[in-house]
Amino acid sequence: MKTLQTTQFAVQSNGRLTRESLDYLRAIGLTFEENGRSLITSCQNQPVDILYLRSSDIPEYVSRGVASFGIVGENVLYEKRARVKIVRRLGFAMCSLVIAVPKGSPIKTLQDLEGERIATSYPRILREFLNKKKINAAIISIQGSVEITPSVNLADAVCDLVQSGRTLRENNLTPIQKVLDSEAVLIASPEMDTTRASSIINYV
Amino acid sequence: MTSIITPKILKGTRDFLPQEMAKRRYVMEKIRSVFVNFGYDTIETPAIEYAETLLGKYGEEGNKLTYSFEDNGGRKIALRYDQTVPFARLVAANSSDLPMPFKRYQIDKVWRADKPAKGRYREFVQCDIDIIGTESLLSEGEVARVMYEVFTRLGFSNFVIKFNSRKLINGMLGSFKISPEQQVAVIRMLDKLDKIGKSAVIKEMSSFISKEDASALLQIVTVEGTNVEKAEKLGKFGSQEIKDFLAICQDFSIPEKNLSFDPSLARGLDYYTGIIFEVYIPDVAIGAVCAGGRYADLCSLFCEKKFSGVGVAFGFDRIVLAMEELKLLAEVRLNSQVMMTNFDGGERKKMLELATRLQSAGINTEIYFETAKLGKQFKYADKKEIPFVVICGPEEIARQEVTIKVMKTGKQKTIPQSQLVEYLNGFTS
Repeated sequence: MKTLQTTQFAVQSNGRLTRESLDYLRAIGLTFEENGRSLITSCQNQPVDILYLRSSDIPEYVSRGVASFGIVGENVLYEKRARVKIVRRLGFAMCSLVIAVPKGSPIKTLQDLEGERIATSYPRILREFLNKKKINAAIISIQGSVEITPSVNLADAVCDLVQSGRTLRENNLTPIQKVLDSEAVLIASPEMDTTRASSIINYV
Repeated sequence: MTSIITPKILKGTRDFLPQEMAKRRYVMEKIRSVFVNFGYDTIETPAIEYAETLLGKYGEEGNKLTYSFEDNGGRKIALRYDQTVPFARLVAANSSDLPMPFKRYQIDKVWRADKPAKGRYREFVQCDIDIIGTESLLSEGEVARVMYEVFTRLGFSNFVIKFNSRKLINGMLGSFKISPEQQVAVIRMLDKLDKIGKSAVIKEMSSFISKEDASALLQIVTVEGTNVEKAEKLGKFGSQEIKDFLAICQDFSIPEKNLSFDPSLARGLDYYTGIIFEVYIPDVAIGAVCAGGRYADLCSLFCEKKFSGVGVAFGFDRIVLAMEELKLLAEVRLNSQVMMTNFDGGERKKMLELATRLQSAGINTEIYFETAKLGKQFKYADKKEIPFVVICGPEEIARQEVTIKVMKTGKQKTIPQSQLVEYLNGFTS
C-alpha cells in the first residue's frame, strides 16, 4: 500500500556529476535500474522517482517544487541564483572556478584585469566577485569553449572551471586567481522544512 | 546702457542643475516604479484652480498658506496646495467614467506660501497614492506595503511606518468625556507631543480636561510593548481595527521592525476617520517623510456621492534630502555613458557610425563637437563624469580597431571595432 507521496530526485543526465550522483542515491538505500535513455525512472524499493536533467535546469526544477531534491554543483547553483537551500554537501565533483590568462600575458594580478575582457560561462558569479574586489572589467558571456577566446582576440582572460588543470595547460593558460571552490550539493526547495527534508532523506 | 537684471529666484524655490536633477530623476523613477508595480495609473490636474475649489479645504492654517491671487481677467485663482483636493474635484466631475475602486498615483509640484526652512519649500514635489471607493482594510494594508517597498527600494534600511487609528483615538478621548467637538482640538494638541513634550501638552489640554485626566490620557497613549501587545492593552478603547490591520500587514510580509503602532500619533487634519500613517527615518532629523490615512468622504464638497478612501503623500524633497545625508545617491551619474572623441580628418564618418551603433544598443553616447586636442576632450568627459571615452583616430581606423579609455583609471584598451558594444555592455551585464 502506497501511503507516502512520491519524492523526486533530480540528477544530471549526462556529465561530470552523473556517475557519483547515482552512486550517492544507491548509498542512501535506493534501488533502481539505470536506463540510459529514459528521462525518469522509478525506484523499486521506495516511492522515489529519479529525474535526469541538464545540470543548469536542476536548480529551477527544485525551486519550482517539481523536484523535491536535486544534486548539482555549487558553480551551477550560484550562477542560477535559484531559490533553493543546500541540505547537504556531498564531497564529490570537486573543482574550482579560476581566472586564467595566456602564458606571457601582461596581466599578472587581479588588479591588472582592470578594463580587460574576461570570457566566462559564469557571468553572475564573476560579476559579483569583481564587484567585491572593486575591479571594473568587461565580462564576455560565452556558453562553452571559453578557453579558446584569448587566442582569437575575443578576450584577454577567461574565468572557467578547472579540475586537474589540464584543459588550461592545453590551451596555454595560467591561472592567476581563484574565484570559487565548488562541490556537488544536495538541494531542496526553500519551502520544504528541514525536519521534513531530513526525515525523507533518512527514510530513503 | 542696458541695465542687467539680477538673476535671482524666490526664497523657498529652487533651480536644479543637471547633477542634482539626475539624482531627483533617479529617486522619482524609483518611487514611480513602485506605484506602477502595484498597478496604480496616473492622472494630471492643472497647477491653477479656481480659488473656491481649494480655499477652505485645508483648515485656517492651510488657507493662509495657499497662494491665491486675481488673474488678468479678474478671476480668483489659487495654486495647487496639495494633490488631494484637485483629485477630489476630478473624481466628482468624472466618477461615472472611472473604475471603482479607483486607485491612482500623482507626482507633481505643489505650492505653499510658507516660511522657508530646512526641508520646507514654497515650491516642492509631492508623490501621492490614493485608493477610493472601497472600505476594505486590505487597501490600508496595500498602502503600507507600498510605503515599505518605496523606502526599501530607495535603499533605506532603517525606517519606521508609524500608524494609529482615529477610531481608537475617539475611543480614548471619549472615555475621558471629551465631546466630539472638543476632540478635534485635543487631537491637534496630542499631535504636538513629540515636539513640545508631555507637560506642555497637559498644560494646553487644561482648558478641556483636568490635569489628572490629561496625564492619564498621555499615560495611555504612550503605552509600551510590541505592536500586538499595545493593541491588546488598549482593547477597551476599541483597538480591533489596529489588530486587523496588523494581521493584514503580517500577511503582506511587512517586517515588524518597520511598523510601529503609536497611540499618540494623531495627524492634525480633521478629515481622517480610520488608520493614519506617518513614516520616519530615525537617522535623519527631518520630520515625517510620508503621511496620510483613511478618510470617509473625499468629495463631500464637490458632489453628493460618498467616496471613502485611503491615501498617502510622500515628501519627495525630504526623501531626497535624507538620501543625500545617508549618501544613498553617491553613485548617481549624468546620462552619458560614452563620449566619442572628435578628430581633425576623415574620421567623422566612423565616429558617427560607432556612436549610432552604441546608441542603438541602448548605450547613452554623445559626440564631442569640436576637433580640439584630446586633453581638452578628456577634460570635458571628466567634468561630466562620463565613464568611457572612445577614441577612433586614423591608426585605429586603419586597423579596424577602437581604443576605449576608462576614465576612472585612465587605462586604455584597444579592441576590434566589431566588439565595441559587447565590451561596454560587459561592464554592466
